[in-house]
Amino acid sequence: MTLALHHYLILAAVLFCIGLLGAFSRRNAVVVLFSVEIMLNAANLNFIAFWRFGTNPELLHGPLFTLFTIAVAAAEVAVGLALVIAVYRHFRSVDLESLDTLKEE
Amino acid sequence: MTTEKLALIPLLPLLAAAVTSFMRDGKRASIFAIAALLVSCVLSLIAFNEAWGMAADDKPKLFTIPWLAIGGTAINFGFVLNPLTGAMAAMVTFVGSLIFIYSAGYMSHDKRMARFFCYLSLFAAGMLGVVLANSLILFFMCWEVVGVASYLLISFWNHKPEAAAAGKKAFIVTRVGDMGFFIGILLVFKVTGTLDFYTEAENGILQQYDLNSQMAFGFSAATVISFLLFVGAVGKSGQIPLHVWLPDAMEGPTPVSALIHAATMVAAGVFLVARTFPLFEAGGMLPLVAWVGAITALVAAFIALGQYDLKRILAYSTVSQLGLMMVGIGAAGVSVGMFHLLTHAFFKALLFLGAGSIILGCHDEQDIRKMGGLAKPMPLTTIAYLCGTLALVAFPFTSGFFSKDEILAGAWANNQPVFWVAALASLLTAVYMTRQCMYVFPGTYRGEHAPHESPKIMTVPLLILSVFALGLGALARGSILELFPGKPVTPHPGTVVAVSIAVALGGIALGFLIYRGRAIGQTADPLALKPFERKFWFDEIYEATVGRLWTLFTIISEQLNALLLFIRDLAVEVASRIGTGFAIGGDRKLIDSLAFDGMCARLRFAGRTVTRPQNGFLPGYLRLIALGAVLLTALVLWAK
Amino acid sequence: MNEVTAFWILAAISVIGALVAVRKRNLVHGVFALLVFFAGLAGLFLLLLAEFIAVVQILVYAGAVGILILFAIMLTDRVTGKDAFRVTSRGSFWGAIIALAVFLVILLPTIREIPLIENATPKDMIVEQSSVKELGTKLIEPYIVTIEVLALLLTAALIGAVTAAQGGRASEKGENTE
Repeated sequence: MTLALHHYLILAAVLFCIGLLGAFSRRNAVVVLFSVEIMLNAANLNFIAFWRFGTNPELLHGPLFTLFTIAVAAAEVAVGLALVIAVYRHFRSVDLESLDTLKEE
Repeated sequence: MTTEKLALIPLLPLLAAAVTSFMRDGKRASIFAIAALLVSCVLSLIAFNEAWGMAADDKPKLFTIPWLAIGGTAINFGFVLNPLTGAMAAMVTFVGSLIFIYSAGYMSHDKRMARFFCYLSLFAAGMLGVVLANSLILFFMCWEVVGVASYLLISFWNHKPEAAAAGKKAFIVTRVGDMGFFIGILLVFKVTGTLDFYTEAENGILQQYDLNSQMAFGFSAATVISFLLFVGAVGKSGQIPLHVWLPDAMEGPTPVSALIHAATMVAAGVFLVARTFPLFEAGGMLPLVAWVGAITALVAAFIALGQYDLKRILAYSTVSQLGLMMVGIGAAGVSVGMFHLLTHAFFKALLFLGAGSIILGCHDEQDIRKMGGLAKPMPLTTIAYLCGTLALVAFPFTSGFFSKDEILAGAWANNQPVFWVAALASLLTAVYMTRQCMYVFPGTYRGEHAPHESPKIMTVPLLILSVFALGLGALARGSILELFPGKPVTPHPGTVVAVSIAVALGGIALGFLIYRGRAIGQTADPLALKPFERKFWFDEIYEATVGRLWTLFTIISEQLNALLLFIRDLAVEVASRIGTGFAIGGDRKLIDSLAFDGMCARLRFAGRTVTRPQNGFLPGYLRLIALGAVLLTALVLWAK
Repeated sequence: MNEVTAFWILAAISVIGALVAVRKRNLVHGVFALLVFFAGLAGLFLLLLAEFIAVVQILVYAGAVGILILFAIMLTDRVTGKDAFRVTSRGSFWGAIIALAVFLVILLPTIREIPLIENATPKDMIVEQSSVKELGTKLIEPYIVTIEVLALLLTAALIGAVTAAQGGRASEKGENTE
């Protein structure tokens, strides 16, 4: 058996959906945040896999794109955690079930 | 002029915005912003001069930067210089400079003056980007920058709740139009494979005409695209039915109203139509443009009759004039509509700045019922304001007269019903402007504090603008009509000239007759009828329809949920009943506690479940978004 | 140990790490599982010959992001694992169903394309071709403006993060009095 592109793609899909599962089913905002990180990383895996198995890897588009994604994701984590802390200050909780001010009245 | 210098025109104000965002001192920020805009004004005038040398069908000058390459297609940023963009850039920077200078006086007591100039510069940068952009995507980005700047400036005095609400309203209402615009851009890209207006290889959007492919329901691609672009223009230019934000936008500082909501940004929608005119022509959308414009012009003019707020009258007047520009483009071609856009920019900026001077002189009073007798204490402002009024009502040989005449002549030749609607709107224009002037200038002052004239830094720009408001029309008429695409009707039929003079003079006379000798401000206003005063209940209608519809949707979905869950519970219940019936026989207690009470509990649970999608439960929203994504992807996979 | 074995081991590590990270009651334990996941992914990057990305992955994710999350957890305590506290949100069953649906929607096209891609073999690459130097040149030369914009974005994000996390003066005072 040799490794082919679809192994990586399916692995990335699995990881992505684990992240999705976390984001959908946990109450804690911090967990949701790191679920988002898992999803982003799964996408990165796709980039790298496509690059490696693609037609012209010498252009290095995959790693370049991944670098940008990582940079943006780092910023996103910083902002996301800052927001979590701000929310915590305001509501005294990071429980997503108690943050229901979006509803009417 | 090199094309790189062309890029400097929008970049200089952007730089000013970046620098002034760090400044605290309002005076220094204002000097910096004014200097940047003046330099870019000089550059624009050079560019304008050069563009004026081009013949109408000359190749435009291009300056392209590749921005994104996706496979074989590239999305470019770029700037373009042709007579249309040159004239717009010159107008925007020139009027903009005067308004900047005026603002330095108007805002001099505000603590956040530096921030104000930062936003103004950002706006100028965005607007110049819109004007000079050579690709739809750059156009759209700058269009959004302009929208953000407008939002920031409308709600600049955000300690006032009305101002904050007005900013939000403007942003959201224009968003409706932008949605259409954006879909239009995507369609353009799909159909033509490029987003450039012009390219060196002559295959830009406006240079190729293979847009007649069928798209949907028997409409051609050009029809669909130009309709979507027009939706964007309607939102930005405050045409009916998306005009509701523009009058509320008057909560912003007056120079903002003058710059953004009279002279430049609201004209961007008209400019968009003018810019993509070949698409509209190919798609056969011009009659729609003319009709929307005509109806807007008429309705807004009626509403203006019933308003008491000095700036709101002007705001509705702007809506009405924008409608006339649309009529001009739709019925008579780009040159006519753009001519009116340019002259209107000057005299409407003048009127707004004059209004600002009046408001400042009357100590922040905007109600015309509490003004009066201002001619004596504020002579310069009065003269300037009257010049603007004359131009707006199209008094013979002012600039407004020439441009409106062209519009009426074009409408007469191509679409007579529109002509009569536009003529009626012009008559009403004259009436409401006369009404306003009769309230404000003659008689005795009805306010509390004595009015005073504004400082020189404000009156000098007013006087410069008055000169242009009176003279620009005669000066620029020939060259504008010749250089812009679209030939106006020549010579004008006698009827048109007669009607156009008659509505202007007749309107003034009518207004004069109605308001002369009336105890203005004490007795009821004969023209402020209920529908006009209430703005034809547009806001109320929106609240009643859009707002209700939303509530209705939630109720329906709740009921559907309830029904489904009820059926499920019923099935479960029947099964459990049968099961218990078999297992325990006739033990009523058990059936009661399990089945009946259990069912009640389950129903209660179902009730809670039902309200879940609407109760602000965040993971629920997330799941619904994902569900939407799944359904969309499934649709795409299935359609393949 | 050949490549295939390495792939399966790393895949198992990352999947288990991710699963534990999103299911664990104790958040601190969750973060450690997350670090394991990041490390497993870095291993996969190594397997795909993207050494630099693997190193960046370790540095940024395992190093910075993980620690940041740890701090956030400690700043928002009382959620590190009370037994009475339900971990999953209401209706998490439906969440799982939708996640599964997303998974299927991603999986289907992949499976459909397998005949097309299963024979795609990675090209042989000389190490220089994906070296850091090469990456740097390829990064700076065409994307210099993008990088500058990104730098600006990161700075803005950090300032925003500090501002948001700092909160208003008033709320801080409120905290002190409590």
